Amino acid sequence: MLDEHALPAAGEFAAPEAHHPHVNYWKIFYVLCVLTIISWLADEFGKTGNQTLLVLVVLTVACFKAMFVMLYFMHLKFEGKWKFVLLAPTMILALAIVAALMPDIGSHYYDYDVPQLHTADTDDEGHAEHSSGGHGDALPGQ
Amino acid sequence: MSHAPATHAAPQSHVPALKMGVPIPNGKLGMWLFLGTEIMFFTALIGTYIVLRLGSKGWPTDTAVTHITIWAGGTNTFVLITSSVFVVLAHEAMAQRNYKRVTNWMIGTMALSCVFLGIKSYEYYGKIKHDILPGHVAESPRQALDKLVRELDAASGLPALQEEATVTENLVAQKQGKDDESLKKDRDAVQRRIKILDPVVALYRPFRDKVKYGQITLAEAETGLDALKKTGFKGLIETKENELKLLDEGKSTQSGSDEFKQLKSTKLEELSQLVKSERAFGAVHEPHVMKWGNTFASVYFTMTGFHALHVVIGMIMFGLIIWLGKANKLAPRHEVFVENCGLYWHFVDLVWIFLFPLIYIV
Repeated sequence: MLDEHALPAAGEFAAPEAHHPHVNYWKIFYVLCVLTIISWLADEFGKTGNQTLLVLVVLTVACFKAMFVMLYFMHLKFEGKWKFVLLAPTMILALAIVAALMPDIGSHYYDYDVPQLHTADTDDEGHAEHSSGGHGDALPGQ
Repeated sequence: MSHAPATHAAPQSHVPALKMGVPIPNGKLGMWLFLGTEIMFFTALIGTYIVLRLGSKGWPTDTAVTHITIWAGGTNTFVLITSSVFVVLAHEAMAQRNYKRVTNWMIGTMALSCVFLGIKSYEYYGKIKHDILPGHVAESPRQALDKLVRELDAASGLPALQEEATVTENLVAQKQGKDDESLKKDRDAVQRRIKILDPVVALYRPFRDKVKYGQITLAEAETGLDALKKTGFKGLIETKENELKLLDEGKSTQSGSDEFKQLKSTKLEELSQLVKSERAFGAVHEPHVMKWGNTFASVYFTMTGFHALHVVIGMIMFGLIIWLGKANKLAPRHEVFVENCGLYWHFVDLVWIFLFPLIYIV
């Protein structure tokens, strides 16, 4: 393990309070609890309303909660600039798979046809044609 | 870059003349690099879930269908946030060299991790009970009815016995002329078990055939299954019990005979089979349709499963710190380890902060 005296003094990359910042962690905890309650209230009262607004509210609240955890619990607020060097490429690379899947799977830039799009809505009565032995429309893996 | 002061006066000093690289302990740097890979891993999982959801029109959101329990997710969010505070306070106590406090905060964190996994297990139990598992969910009425037929047959036990009967019959046929008594005995035993199933088959088969040949709707199938579960076997069991009672009442005159013993044994066996079948049919799932249910189950279990695995790994690390604390072995050299455990745990909390709204609320 590295001896704490071996650490350099605050340099270009290190913040002076990097080692043991003084934070009121309980205050952050209360903020996080309030934010969680906001998410829950949004769900309770926003269920029947505008779905897009609900998504926007709960995801914004989640981003704020994540920000508080990263800044104060993970001490990123007090770390040096190395955090950007380490985290920026990670965040960009993390989005690669989303970017790769989005055109085909997410937005379907072409017409596509899957059973889920036309079976359950039109066939809710269940008078489906007899599938011999039940294998024609059987579930995968059964 | 900062330059170290001249070291002419103390060439033997342990303090390095120049610190290269990132100004944090190597262990902490290693943890951050690991967390970098973790960010990529979980962003890929969560991102793929969002993409799949955006591309799946009619994604299931009704909690009555998905059996998502919002209170459980919300409670677990609170549990993880609290445990995050405990961990960061343990790190603070470590800096103050208050090892007793470090141990206590870690015990608290460990207890909260157990609560988290307990609630998660309860949720998983619900999913398993309702058969919301990858590859098991019916996504159309026809699939739901086919699944019901398969489950009814499996609950009756008849197809498995019929298969066994064919095998034993074939074996007897192959040994023709050699008069193998044990094979014949096996064959007769299977035939007898099939015979005992007769009342069960007579009870469920008409309903099963209606479902199989699409003669009833999904709603009717649901009602029919409910009736079969609640009242179907009750009458048969009562009749069988009455038969046994009557047999016992008349036993004084014929109890010694082999015929009586055989008859009573058969009736008891039939009763036992009816009770067994009632339980087996009780476990048959209601025929429900959940569009995209298999994809939903796959992403749900993949994301929450990997998250739960991280919780378990965190618990192992907490256990190590608790052990060091209890054995009075915690020392300043463990400070980076405690900090790393905290960083890891906060990351686990971060993942849940996004999983909660995405899975439970949206």
